[in-house]
Amino acid sequence: MNTIASGHTQANTMKWLLKREFWENKGSMFWAPVVVAALLVLLVGSSIVYGVTVHGAPAYVSINGHTVSDGALSALPVETRTMVANMAGGMVLAAAAPLFILLAFVVFFYCLGALYDERRDRSILFWKSLPVSDGQTIASKAATAMLVAPLITIVLATLASFILLFVIGTALSLHGINVFSAVLASPGLLLTPLRLVAVLPVYVVWALPTVGWLMLVSSWAKSKPFLWAVGVPVVVNVVMKSINAGLETMTGQSLLLAHYVGDLVARILGGVVPGIWFTFPGHQPTHIQAAANGFDIVGLVPQSYLSLAGLDAWIGALLGIGMLVVAVRLRRWRDEG
Amino acid sequence: MSAVIEAKGLTKHYGKRTAVAGIDFSIPAGRIVGLIGPNGSGKTTTLKAALGLIPFEGELSVLGYDPRTQRDQLMQDVCFIADVAILPRWLRVRDAVDFVAGVHPRFNRAKAERYLAGTKLAPGMKVKEMSKGMIVQLHLALVMAIDARLLVLDEPTLGLDILYRKQFYQNLLEDYFDEHKTIVITTHQVEEVEHILTDLMFIRDGRIVLAASMEEIGERFVEVMVPQEKLSAANALQPLDRRTVFGKAVMLFDAGPGGASRQQLAALGETRNPSVADLFVATMKGTYA
Repeated sequence: MNTIASGHTQANTMKWLLKREFWENKGSMFWAPVVVAALLVLLVGSSIVYGVTVHGAPAYVSINGHTVSDGALSALPVETRTMVANMAGGMVLAAAAPLFILLAFVVFFYCLGALYDERRDRSILFWKSLPVSDGQTIASKAATAMLVAPLITIVLATLASFILLFVIGTALSLHGINVFSAVLASPGLLLTPLRLVAVLPVYVVWALPTVGWLMLVSSWAKSKPFLWAVGVPVVVNVVMKSINAGLETMTGQSLLLAHYVGDLVARILGGVVPGIWFTFPGHQPTHIQAAANGFDIVGLVPQSYLSLAGLDAWIGALLGIGMLVVAVRLRRWRDEG
Repeated sequence: MSAVIEAKGLTKHYGKRTAVAGIDFSIPAGRIVGLIGPNGSGKTTTLKAALGLIPFEGELSVLGYDPRTQRDQLMQDVCFIADVAILPRWLRVRDAVDFVAGVHPRFNRAKAERYLAGTKLAPGMKVKEMSKGMIVQLHLALVMAIDARLLVLDEPTLGLDILYRKQFYQNLLEDYFDEHKTIVITTHQVEEVEHILTDLMFIRDGRIVLAASMEEIGERFVEVMVPQEKLSAANALQPLDRRTVFGKAVMLFDAGPGGASRQQLAALGETRNPSVADLFVATMKGTYA
């Protein structure tokens, strides 16, 4: 009985903690991406509509050697049509790229302020007067950074892409080219948002070292958390590189560690960038490169999960969780100032 | 479990400075205790230790819990206002009520809304749009609606006008307090709380210099209006303090064990009970010297 009751209240507390984070960060987490998404639709949409209206629709489009003209998309072989739909899915993702770049910045600065701002404005004393543990608080902030913010971005990216697709389709159909039936009928396109959601766990694993590091600094720093968070890894990197350079000139040997420091710094500061896992050695997205005629959206999910096959991702994630635990311990004895 | 707060040798150092120097005290349930001391005397440090906000040395048990290791359990039954009301600038009145209702099992929403109705706070208002007094009003409305076994108020009425301060202490006594609850208050405005307190603790330089119930204090301390001709006799009884009011000497005596007797004092002139403020000033003489 008791455990059920306390389990229920814990879930309830978590719900309100997440709401609190959203209220506090509505501007950066909701309104900023909304504005960017609206601008994307407006700018990209209007330039395409302008192009189609002024220069007319393309007389034909060449896809994989097949010439498609006058909306004869349905005459194409099934495989080609699937490919077109997949490419459309990729385009959907590409159009939303600014939103994902914005996400990286929003999450980065959110984590940096998450445990620092409450000390600066002294509201930590109010939050600590309520029956909410430090562990719950930090769990809610980590979840906001790695789940809530990306989900908002995915929803907005999907919305913006579909509006764009609709605008372009309408512009083309006014010129007699009907792409709606073919594009909308393809499961590839409609699956795109689901694919993005499916990649979210990969994002969490790769974001953990950065989220952990930033929240640790946020909980520890007495002032200037940004300088500490960025300065420490960068200085360590520079020092290691110069020690290595010195060694090379003097002894001809080089430190093996020095080669990894750059990667480490990138993972500790850049983990919140969506798709960062494609940039690390050993996780080259071979299939995506093979699909030379466009970003192949189908490859996104398996390729992303492939990046979890190595130990590197998991070691980073464990370190991230460790740093979050330290942040919890630090917050326990932190009050204002 | 008789005592709500029990301290033995409670000590806190900040670097080389000793903020609290090994104090012992015990606060039973159903009391309203005034913890009174000058700035920097260690009262806020003592309260922060009891609330599990800072590490400390010595023994301290609050509602049977150790605030260092069992803070999460402790906070189910304790609520506090630390120093000046500090609510985040982005918080709306409506959201604040929803949030506390969501996370606190002992929060009474109707009560909070009743307190808020007595202010000029609107549900959609953000903290950053409020005056300092309004922020305190919101904070007090939230905290007073929590049915906590121990309520700790550190300077709760700072920034409030006299009308609201009186109203607040009246609510605290009539609406909030009962025999199962314990309230610890620190404030500089001693005269406003003295009629609601059941117990008094004076703290100075990290030590408790006086801890007694209000009845004991009424029995022990006597103020005498001494006419000119009896001044030397009065001085011989070693008054704690003397001042002059309308040309007459007013002397404060400790009539407790070892001090002057009531009969002796009555012979000197007109006697009365001193105010807590006068007692405080007499006890803290030389603090800033």
